[in-house]
Amino acid sequence: MANPPVLSVRDLAVELRTESGTRSILSDISFDLEPRQIMGIIGASGSGKTVLSRALVNWIDPPLAIASGSVIYKSQNILELPPGQLRPLRKEIAYVGANPMGALDPTLPVGAQIVEKIRAVVPGMDKAEAQRRVIELLGAVRIPSPAQRFHEYPSQFSGGMMQRALIVDALATNPAFLVADNVTQPLDVTVAAQVMRLMRELTERFDTAVVFVSSSLPTVSEAADQVLVLADGRIVERQTPAKLIREPQHPYTVQLISEIPQIWTAAAPVVESPERSGTPLISIEDATRTYRVRKRSSFAGYNNVRAVRNVTFDVYPGENFGIVGESGCGKSSLMRLLSRLESPDTGRVVCDGQDIAKLSGAELLKFRRDFQLVLQDPFNSLPPRTSIGAIIEGPLKVHGVNSAAKRRERALAVMHEVGLSAALYDELPLGLSAGQRQRVNVARAMVLEPKVLIMDETLSSLDQTEQFKLLKLFSQLQAKHGLTYIFISHDMAMVRRVCNRIAVMYLGEVVEIADNGKLFFDPGHPYTKALLSAIPTLEKRRYRPEDCLLEGEPPSPIDLPPGCSFASRCPKAFGRCHAESPVLTVDGKEGMAACFLLESAGGRIAA
Amino acid sequence: MSLAETDVPLVVTETPSNRKGVSVSRRIWRAAFASYEFRVGLVVFAVLVAAALLYPSLSGIDPTKMNVAGRLQAPWFLGDKWSWSAPLGTDQIGRDMLVRSLVGLRYSLLIGFSTVVLMLAVGCTIGMLAGYYGGKVDLVLMRITDAQLSIPMIILAITVLGVSRPTIPAIILVLGLSSWPVYARVTRSVVMTERKQEYVRAALVSGASDLRIMALLLAPLILPPIVFISVLDVARMMIFESILGFMGLGVQPPTPTFGSIIADGRKYLLNAWWIATMPGIFLCLTLTSVNLMGASLERARNRIYGGA
Amino acid sequence: MFILSFLVRRLLQGALIIFLVTLLIFTLLRVVPGDPVRLMAGGMAPEALIEQIAKQMGLRDPILVQFGRYMAGVVQGDLGQSFVRPASGAATGGSGFSDASRSDRAEVLTLIADALPMTLQLAALAIAFALAFSFLVGVPGGLAPNRWPDRLAFYVSSIFVSLPNFWLGIVLALLFSVKLGWLPAIGYKGFAYTILPAIVLAIELAPVLIRNLTGSLASVMQSPFIAVARVRGLGRQRIVYGHALRNASVPLLNLLGIQISGLLGGVLIVEFIFDYPGLGLLTVNAVMQRDFPLIQGIAIVSSAIFVLINIGVDLIATLIDPRLEY
Repeated sequence: MANPPVLSVRDLAVELRTESGTRSILSDISFDLEPRQIMGIIGASGSGKTVLSRALVNWIDPPLAIASGSVIYKSQNILELPPGQLRPLRKEIAYVGANPMGALDPTLPVGAQIVEKIRAVVPGMDKAEAQRRVIELLGAVRIPSPAQRFHEYPSQFSGGMMQRALIVDALATNPAFLVADNVTQPLDVTVAAQVMRLMRELTERFDTAVVFVSSSLPTVSEAADQVLVLADGRIVERQTPAKLIREPQHPYTVQLISEIPQIWTAAAPVVESPERSGTPLISIEDATRTYRVRKRSSFAGYNNVRAVRNVTFDVYPGENFGIVGESGCGKSSLMRLLSRLESPDTGRVVCDGQDIAKLSGAELLKFRRDFQLVLQDPFNSLPPRTSIGAIIEGPLKVHGVNSAAKRRERALAVMHEVGLSAALYDELPLGLSAGQRQRVNVARAMVLEPKVLIMDETLSSLDQTEQFKLLKLFSQLQAKHGLTYIFISHDMAMVRRVCNRIAVMYLGEVVEIADNGKLFFDPGHPYTKALLSAIPTLEKRRYRPEDCLLEGEPPSPIDLPPGCSFASRCPKAFGRCHAESPVLTVDGKEGMAACFLLESAGGRIAA
Repeated sequence: MSLAETDVPLVVTETPSNRKGVSVSRRIWRAAFASYEFRVGLVVFAVLVAAALLYPSLSGIDPTKMNVAGRLQAPWFLGDKWSWSAPLGTDQIGRDMLVRSLVGLRYSLLIGFSTVVLMLAVGCTIGMLAGYYGGKVDLVLMRITDAQLSIPMIILAITVLGVSRPTIPAIILVLGLSSWPVYARVTRSVVMTERKQEYVRAALVSGASDLRIMALLLAPLILPPIVFISVLDVARMMIFESILGFMGLGVQPPTPTFGSIIADGRKYLLNAWWIATMPGIFLCLTLTSVNLMGASLERARNRIYGGA
Repeated sequence: MFILSFLVRRLLQGALIIFLVTLLIFTLLRVVPGDPVRLMAGGMAPEALIEQIAKQMGLRDPILVQFGRYMAGVVQGDLGQSFVRPASGAATGGSGFSDASRSDRAEVLTLIADALPMTLQLAALAIAFALAFSFLVGVPGGLAPNRWPDRLAFYVSSIFVSLPNFWLGIVLALLFSVKLGWLPAIGYKGFAYTILPAIVLAIELAPVLIRNLTGSLASVMQSPFIAVARVRGLGRQRIVYGHALRNASVPLLNLLGIQISGLLGGVLIVEFIFDYPGLGLLTVNAVMQRDFPLIQGIAIVSSAIFVLINIGVDLIATLIDPRLEY
């Protein structure tokens, strides 16, 4: 009541103007941002939240246009300021987006670009002074050796580090408010948790008000003082996070909350394990895969990237087997071994008693028919110039279905099964949504009636609602065709919903393998605990990030230190961890984990 | 496309595949045809080609027939009256410039188009193999390509044609075999990026052979970027044909070619400038029309595919 | 360290390329019909004499033996002697054959060394003209996609690319030199003689550069970091000249590297038209006279120029964009 708001948005409306007409993207948006407030904005993809976050910093380009309304900062409508007058204000208005890797010029060092920005918005700032400040702040966001990192290029930064550098870029000029649009979306969960913690610390330290936009309600509710729910371009609800979760008013909010996966509550789905008897469908036996990568700095030198290290497990018929881990943990390399896109350097992948590396001709074709892959990226996994019908029929042609009429019939049947309209048969994939594209991917895999579907991050690019629908589709298909699924994912919540057995990977190794219940309620490995602590959830956490994870990012798989690969980030590491590598140890009857702590607790070495 | 971008609603609003039953290539042609540049190019090109095909036989004028009495006649716009026998004047031995230019255009088009077909075949095959297999295959093929690329093709062409007798097949062979590297490079770079895409992986997993992937999945992808270059190359090859003719290494007299007419006309530049200029103007018109069509096609393709 | 390993690797590759070029040209010259000895000796020379000279010069040995002998010389920096040109200067025609002893004939290396600086001067001026013009037309075009500067760039490049260089050379010489008398054209008696040929070459080179610059600048302007830079508070001048052009110049440089070979081809024609005493004119004459050693020498030198320029281009490109690796 004492302080006037930092930012006032009144009746803001944004339209999309194209040749075919005008469509409203945002309408009737009004809110005030109080000093030091963290305002959360939540909405599904397509709800207009990115457009809103950009409108707040006057970043609306054609074909988008401001239809009406104002964004008032210091009693000036920043939407109407000419660029010349707006630019000095950029010092006080900061923005951090969802795409850290694309945010800076790739051809110039990171530090120089931040200095350039400071000097552009603070005329008269001394260059050396700006550089000193940037290095100091890089240190404050816990970027190791900041003075050296200052001179490195964006491509030498990891996603998480780049996002920290951009937070420095945004906060270096002491802005009055910061718009953070989906800042954690592209990051791994453990890194995202670190970035969130950091942002809260810094905005407190600098007295910055924050507009925090995200599609994840748990993330928003942890960060914000007040939450706006955005649906179809309108604010449908405005609450404190606690009240919003307790008593959601609008049907959209109700649905949003109901779709948030349950991890530890009684409502969490119980995933039954099928009987693991008979022969495994596919076994991976002590497989290792190392890639040679040319060293840039030396003459004709190579680095060995150890992507998969001594991995062993079996998958039984009817299982939903999960492989989880963060980016760079080797799960995609493992996928390539399982689907025989590559062969292991040592060890074997065995199917029907045969090493699949030795298959050829008709046997290989038979294997390919049984093991199908559904890939990660909905935008790159479909050939851009081929019609959807032809994409789905492709595998049929390969497998000798020569009659065009039969292929068409089969393709249309599968399209129907996965919920694609027959009208899409002649269309290009270009106009499809991510969810539809993934359905095409599933259809292409299903068309050969395989036994196993390997899902490589198939759902990670979809929003909650779409994920929900596809997971339902998967279980229908499983019931109907008796499929076995191998899910490769970084999303613990998704794995919790569908997988009965889960392998956790870290730096190329399986560090824990356990049944669903055991893994989530009594994990054996500290890294699993760290992953669990970072799941965005509304529930009371069983594991707190503060207890489970040190700062830092996974070491590079190129020069692995001796000892346990997780030792550098493990809060429980002791002397032995830095010298020896632990092996998978039986931890109770439902799981195995690779940690010395289990040995001392009386576990036995796995056979 | 990164995850971040998919969140913006404006990305997937306009679906180019709304209209059913119309193939992509036809949509590109339609979009190109709708542009002013393409229509101008097409009309000019069609008129020139029709004239080249029909006029020499319809008019009954022999492009090689001398007429010493009517030598060095000026074109109609400089002379005082229209003449059906020589509207664009005559050369130093009284041959009709119009018929000679149009016959020259025939050979120019023939050599231009067949050369580009040959270049496409050689270049795309080499680029495809290099890009798809990578490693040693790539290393060997690309060094050969670099070597080829490092000698100016015209040196190669005049060397070969200069020491042997130039015939039409020899000219096509020499021009075609000395300028494929660009296609090899473009094809290789496209194939190398596409090869890593997940749909290629998906095809491999479904059991498709390398040959099938190259022919059915990758070949359609290299075509669009190549079409633009190849249309421009038709024009470029027509220029080279005329250069060869100019140096006396093209199709041999008495067959008229643009190059040889210009070379002859050069000696009469001061008193009969039209001899060297007229065929040049014909050539420029043809080239401009081809280039306009090629460039409009490229623009249309970019619009349909959203710049992909 | 990085630079050194890069240079060593690229120079080795370059040596391989030059070797392949030499092999190609050498073989071509010997398998295509046309006997240089007959041309040297003149049409009237008896068959026996021709055979004798040919044997003397080693032209009847197997091709591989000839090639080995030639490469042995090349490695020591000896490109051989011209078949037809006397050391004194002007070429002898094929009219009368004097049994000139080897020492009387011109060293290929000397002939090339005399002509090369002229050609380099011409090429450098042409590149400067072409770049200046491309930036003038291409930068506004790239900054205003689908508006009139873009259209202008489109039309200019479409028309320029349709002008045959030899014809343009004749027309410009007629216009500027003969009719208007502004610039000298034929032969070489001073720097002014370079300008008109350089303009012709620049017009040939410019269209590809304009298209490339327009296209890559337009696509760089679409990159997220450009939009973000505005939100971060950078001014437009700074964004365009400090970041967009910097990024767009990498593909332009690479294109320029590849175009060098096309430029050398253009030089040949233009020098022939303008009677400009450079490498191109030397080539044309060498071909007309079937002067095999000279043709081979020129091929080696021009591919070496190509290799060196491309190494330089890649080096500059890595300095601009550190992500690139060669």
